[in-house]
Amino acid sequence: MSDVTREPAGTGRELRLVGFLCNWCSYGGADTAGVGRFIQPTDLRIVRLPCSGRVNPLFIAKTLLYGADGVLVSGCHPRDCHYAEGNFYARRRLEVFRHLLPTLGIDPRRFEYTWVSASEGQRWQQVVSKFTEQIHSLGPAPRLPGAPELEWMQSGVNPA
Amino acid sequence: MATQEELKKIILDVLPDVDCVIGWGPGPEPLCASPYFMRNPEDVDYLLAGPASVHNPALFLPEYKGRKTGVVVKGCDSRSVVQLISENLIRREDVVIIGFPCAGVVDASKIAAKLGPYGEPGETERAIFDKDALNLSLGGKELSIPLSEILADKCSRCKHPGAVISDYFAGEAADALQVKDDFTDLAGLESLPLEERFRFWEKEMSRCIRCYACRNACPLCVCRDHCVASSREPHWLAQANGVRDNLMFQVIHATHLAGRCTGCGECQRACPVHIPVLLLKRSLGRAVEQLFGHHAGLDPESRPPLLTFQMEETNIKEREW
Amino acid sequence: MRIGVFICHCGSNIAATVDVKKVAEAAWGMNDVVYSTDSMYTCSEPGQQAIEEAIREHKLHGVVVASCSPRMHEPTFRRTVERAGLNRYMFEMANIREHVSWIGRDKALNTLKATELVRMAVEKLRLNRVLTPKKIPATRKVLVIGGGVAGIQASLDCADAGLEVVLVEREPSIGGKMSKLDKTFPTVDCSSCILGPRMVDVAQHERITLYAYSEIDSVSGYVGNFEVNIRKKASYVDWEKCTGCGACTEKCPSRKTFDRFNEGLGATTAINIPFPQAIPKKATITAGACRQFQGKKCGVCAKFCPTGAINHEQKDEIVTVKVGAIVAATGYDLTDWTVYGEYGAGRYPDVITSLQYERMLSASGPYGGHIKRPSNGEEPKSIVFIQCVGSRDPSIGRPYCSGFCCMYTAKQAIMTKDHIPDSRSYVFYMDIRSPGKGYDEFTRRAQEEYGAQYVRGRVSQVYPRGDKMVVRGADTLLGLPVEVEADLVVLAVGGEASRDAPKLAEKLRISYDGFGFFMEGHPKLKPVETNTAGVFLAGSCQGLKDIPSSVSQGSAAAAKVMALLSRDMLESDPQTALVDIKRCIGCSKCVKVCPFGAIREQDLRGQIKAEVLEAVCQGCGLCNATCPQGAIQLSHATDNQILAEVEALLCQM
Repeated sequence: MSDVTREPAGTGRELRLVGFLCNWCSYGGADTAGVGRFIQPTDLRIVRLPCSGRVNPLFIAKTLLYGADGVLVSGCHPRDCHYAEGNFYARRRLEVFRHLLPTLGIDPRRFEYTWVSASEGQRWQQVVSKFTEQIHSLGPAPRLPGAPELEWMQSGVNPA
Repeated sequence: MATQEELKKIILDVLPDVDCVIGWGPGPEPLCASPYFMRNPEDVDYLLAGPASVHNPALFLPEYKGRKTGVVVKGCDSRSVVQLISENLIRREDVVIIGFPCAGVVDASKIAAKLGPYGEPGETERAIFDKDALNLSLGGKELSIPLSEILADKCSRCKHPGAVISDYFAGEAADALQVKDDFTDLAGLESLPLEERFRFWEKEMSRCIRCYACRNACPLCVCRDHCVASSREPHWLAQANGVRDNLMFQVIHATHLAGRCTGCGECQRACPVHIPVLLLKRSLGRAVEQLFGHHAGLDPESRPPLLTFQMEETNIKEREW
Repeated sequence: MRIGVFICHCGSNIAATVDVKKVAEAAWGMNDVVYSTDSMYTCSEPGQQAIEEAIREHKLHGVVVASCSPRMHEPTFRRTVERAGLNRYMFEMANIREHVSWIGRDKALNTLKATELVRMAVEKLRLNRVLTPKKIPATRKVLVIGGGVAGIQASLDCADAGLEVVLVEREPSIGGKMSKLDKTFPTVDCSSCILGPRMVDVAQHERITLYAYSEIDSVSGYVGNFEVNIRKKASYVDWEKCTGCGACTEKCPSRKTFDRFNEGLGATTAINIPFPQAIPKKATITAGACRQFQGKKCGVCAKFCPTGAINHEQKDEIVTVKVGAIVAATGYDLTDWTVYGEYGAGRYPDVITSLQYERMLSASGPYGGHIKRPSNGEEPKSIVFIQCVGSRDPSIGRPYCSGFCCMYTAKQAIMTKDHIPDSRSYVFYMDIRSPGKGYDEFTRRAQEEYGAQYVRGRVSQVYPRGDKMVVRGADTLLGLPVEVEADLVVLAVGGEASRDAPKLAEKLRISYDGFGFFMEGHPKLKPVETNTAGVFLAGSCQGLKDIPSSVSQGSAAAAKVMALLSRDMLESDPQTALVDIKRCIGCSKCVKVCPFGAIREQDLRGQIKAEVLEAVCQGCGLCNATCPQGAIQLSHATDNQILAEVEALLCQM
């Protein structure tokens, strides 16, 4: 294993990051990053979807309101959508939705969307590292009553 | 009022060709008119078109899809009609649209605030709107309140007081007003730090009783019985009342209206616990305006901006990373 | 529901950084899990057998495997559970290798992450439904894009196997880069002697329809049922009438037209047949060079054409074909070497590209097979070959090795000695890369038998001195500066993805890498497949390669097409959208956004409802995200399934 990469930002205490990735480009890009052993922070959990066009912005709302600290959506680059147009719709819907977050009192930096192709393993590493760093700099998101404090996440794993 | 008489004449002319004409009639109390369905010529006598005609009659049109229906509309109502047509939720040929120059409608909560020292608004005995004021008697006192002080906020930023689309128009149709909507309502909330805004919604939503009055009053919430708020497949929300799910429902409602909401404000007016739910829709409306220059409910031929795209988006900046 | 969970060690690939046993233990506590275990290689035969046995023994309804990426082994394990009697969609995978063990160093955090990914998979599986593929008819016809040697091979193999083939070539003739070569390494056999008959076979094959001078306009449809619009570019010659007699080219007065086929070495006429062996052998007018199109009075070609084939009014024509599969074989282009100022950036006539040199060597080329200095027509005695021009050079964005230059340079050095026995060849190289059958021996022959002098080092500058070219470089083995006075300098220019390759990729809905090369389905196991069902790759469009490899890929792609179209009916993917008729309000927003026209309105007792055409639906789920009431749901990725995965991460009790 190469040791070119520094340790991830969040080592010690993880935050809850959820990724929604299209199967064809970004999930493949994340695979490529794995094959290339591009070390990344461990916080992100990936939900595999067929297309970024499948991402209803309400999935992001649900994820953020129910206890996540950050949400990342990644699809094929515009014009490269496996389904021709899905990411074009996604781009509009996600951008509009992002504008709602400040009104709700949620830092819009907690939600990012981007495009990573299946060949861009290194870029995926950068995206994950930067996004994780960004969320760690914001700290845990404020929670609503009923949202879990997520202490359970740390149970048995407190390397700090 | 001359306009009202002219409206009645138009409705009488239209009535034989339609199932009914939807407008406003006397409400349970003098300060508030009710939605009113006119089927017979004698019904038309009771039409009320004025500052008390707060309801949006476009709400009922989707149920009448396929039947020829007349509808009397304020400017804001007419935009809902346009939006419904553009989304193929009603057919243009099915509706006879009757417009009139609206001078604004009242906000019941503002009246209640004014009447506070004198008694309950519901106890008003007699209320007459003249050109500039509401004259009423309450608790034996004769009161006159300037209309400008009790008009709904939406009226102050209204660009189209007359219908944007109509088959008949009572009185003089006027050009669009040069009013700028600078989203002062949102500015208030957004002057708070993020965390406090979040806590603001937490507090507001703790009052919510999930009665869905907001949804039921919304002319564009056409799913009605099939709303995701109460379905199991898909199962987006717990049925139990809780702040999280209450807020989530409002986000669902607002998101479903992104690029579609005309800002008629019926959701907020209908809320029995006075939660400013329109703010969320206004926020998304502002985003759609900034990003796509789109205003819902002005052009029946336009396509809602989230149901289309451009390969190169002018106003969407791609993230650097 | 009874769920079984299998956690894979993948040897040490996963187990080194994930506590696999701990993950398997944790799975016991997850909802509906009645069996959990770990195994060394779950995808191995014993690994798969263990799954089958567990399904039977524990009466499992569904299986979760936590191992590598589902893009790798999901099909494998679906077959496994199917063998044990489960529906193949009652299976979920957690990717704990590419997404966990290979990218995270902290074993405790990796173990936690792996456990959560397993929980997500379990929660999703709990909502999975049995899905059954439908049969859809397939068109037993294949489109091959690109008539180079890879495309020719794919076309002939498919046609010989009984499939109808449509071959589309952008240039006026098929043959590709190979048709420009004089000889081929390492056998030094004549390129046109081996390619020519194959080109003729294409022309004469009863099952191959050739559209030369044509491009792909648009592609719609899906595996088994693509509909392709082919743009036949205006050649201003009616090819039905043209006999290729060449009378027009003899008489054409515009004789200074850039000769594309000969790489600009010499000129051609505005109306021309690119080379004597062209297939089809038809004339094409280069509008930009034709006097008639410049508004001057001409029409000489029309006057002399014995069949009246000339038509200056001709327009592009669109032809629509239906095919079941597509092979992309669009090859490569030479890297633009004029970015190198140190090699003269194209200013010196005696500095030429390797492909121009091939045309020079070719007996049917503009020099009649004689090596001459373009500047004065004299025979060169001292020839310098510079390797890695536009290859292995990150400074111009071409960090990769083009793979074939070392070999063709050795060939050209040998050919040079054959043509001019008293000549001296110098080859400046970085490394000699010759891994192929008989390849290394070949480069040695160039040095040992033919006396080519190999100098290890990069050339820093090429400049004229008198009527000679001075090549300055360094011999890095001797550590000395080197200066050679050359009569001719040949640049071994590397390759890059064919121009417009990304545009074609977008039409085909396949991926391409940062250089524009098309992405294969898997770098090792699916070298000619793409991730788009029914679209295959052959030759250099996937990555630069030499002739034997291109031909192999052409045959490989043909084999894949044959396997696909060996049946009249294909199985459709049942992961399609499904409308809940009761909840659909007929607003048709889904109809508006569907990129495939797979949803239509139907009148159901007077009410408009959406209806999905299952065979057309590609399963993107855009409609699902669009429908406000969620009345249209994508099977196998429903709102509830996605929400279940999210909730598995957030609402753990």
